[in-house]
Amino acid sequence: MGKGQPSYTDEEFMAAIRRDDDRALAQLYRLHFPMISHYVLQNSGTDDDAKDVYQEGVMVFYEKVREGSLELSCQIKTYLYAVCRRLWLKRLAEKTRFGGSLDDHEPFLETGAEADLERAEERELQLGTMAQALDLIGEPCRSLLEGFYLLDKSMQQLTDEFGYTNADNAKNQKYKCLVRLKKLFFNQYQESN
Amino acid sequence: MKTEADYYALFEAYRAGGLADAERTALEHRLATDSALARRLHEFEELTGTLTAYGRRQALRRRLQTIHANMLAEQTPTLDLAKVAEQDERGEQFATGQAPRPMLRISRTEQKLRSFWQGHRATMMVAAAVAVLAVFTTLLGLEMYRNSQQSTSSRYGYTMLRREVERIKRDQRSMNRAINQIDGTTPTERINPGKFSGTGFALTADGYLVTSYHVIQGADSLLIENRARQRFRAEPVFTDVAHDLAILQITDKDFTGFGRLPYAFKRGQSELGEKVYTLGYPREDLVFNDGSLSARSGFEGDTGFYQISIPVNPGNSGGPLLDDRGNLIGVVSGRQMDVQSAAFATKSSYLMRLVDSLSAAGSGRPYNLPRYNQLSGTARPQQIRKLQDYVFVVKVYE
Repeated sequence: MGKGQPSYTDEEFMAAIRRDDDRALAQLYRLHFPMISHYVLQNSGTDDDAKDVYQEGVMVFYEKVREGSLELSCQIKTYLYAVCRRLWLKRLAEKTRFGGSLDDHEPFLETGAEADLERAEERELQLGTMAQALDLIGEPCRSLLEGFYLLDKSMQQLTDEFGYTNADNAKNQKYKCLVRLKKLFFNQYQESN
Repeated sequence: MKTEADYYALFEAYRAGGLADAERTALEHRLATDSALARRLHEFEELTGTLTAYGRRQALRRRLQTIHANMLAEQTPTLDLAKVAEQDERGEQFATGQAPRPMLRISRTEQKLRSFWQGHRATMMVAAAVAVLAVFTTLLGLEMYRNSQQSTSSRYGYTMLRREVERIKRDQRSMNRAINQIDGTTPTERINPGKFSGTGFALTADGYLVTSYHVIQGADSLLIENRARQRFRAEPVFTDVAHDLAILQITDKDFTGFGRLPYAFKRGQSELGEKVYTLGYPREDLVFNDGSLSARSGFEGDTGFYQISIPVNPGNSGGPLLDDRGNLIGVVSGRQMDVQSAAFATKSSYLMRLVDSLSAAGSGRPYNLPRYNQLSGTARPQQIRKLQDYVFVVKVYE
């Protein structure tokens, strides 16, 4: 990697990501994208497929590192490859166009990525349900909750934005919205389970 | 009574650590005893936890998208070839301040083709393999078919008239069996009938014979058999493939000679419309057939042959062709399948020329050709009665 950017070892990457270092994440992303892109393109995918699969894989990795629950027994590269490979297999199976074996060009090792992915899928399902619940909840609540929980705005900001008379009113509204969201969320979650 | 929203306010304050000590201990005490409240707190935490996780996930996704977009923007010159090609066409690479780099130009169609190839490589390889296999199978099959056609000695509608005896042998066996059943006698001696048979006739009184080349083609040994079932061993002396002629010589020690030949060989050409006839062994017995000389050239205009309108059959090959006055004018050779009764016979003039050149070469016994024709002026049955002792079955063993 030229262009005067710092190069990291795997340990440095992990440490930097735990610190939420944006540059390290970008660096990591660039470093391994060609491998996954090549793999997906080799196995009847498109550039967009490669991007989606890779981003999902990086997200799994990133979240595991941030949680501090990742015990990496191999290189980051191998871990990412395993995760993305698994993800792409799933995508292909969903497309049902897939009938043969995949061309592996990296050694595929037992990395613990499979187990991580199962947990990640569970999480994914939960988050998907949340997205659906947020879609269903209706306008003032949605923006309010998104503002507070997703965009990390303060209650005072939201009070101003939504034209409440004071912060307590806004808070009360927020709690009511939370109750509604709770119902929607747990109903949906139970349905999908 | 508190509403659920009030509880949520309480929980949030509790989690944020914003409760006074007294309130907090009261709540914790209630949580420990009231399981409904504890569950409510658990749900609240799961809900807010999922919400924040969702928020973080979205933020991360946005970050990755930005990173990806940045990466693409940086790598445009090498990665996004189609865009670059477009840029090149518009000649704008100088405007962007980038030096033009030598690179592989890939058009949009080629890119599509490449991705198609990537996706369907395996399928196409299988298809190609099948195609190659099919082509070779067809070619091989055609070749084999053609070979089998040639082995029945038919080529382009021309059929050589040597007889395959195998079939007849089978017939004979079944006939023998039938006879045995009727008589109850033991079968007569089993004769090896050979693989092919044709007809031949005497060329000189001292043991030279003429037949068609294709009759003895590929022969291991030859047997000559006359009407009285007398057999003589013979071997080819000379063959002329182009005119389908073969000269045989009888090699048996106890062979004394045919006696004087009743017919003479015609050196010139015969006229159109001459009445001609032949004798031959298309079956086990001598068969007579007659017709006219219909053309003075043979198959595809071959001037070495006559066309004759005699119905001939496999086994007639090598038979003598005689005209009304008993002159030998040709040797029956073959027939054309797709034309009504068109048979062909080698002209006797070619036979004579062959014999002359052999005599001139002076190898082997001299050729004493018959000079006088004893048949002229006699009726055809008499001619045939005299002739029949000089026409033979030529049996070929491979």
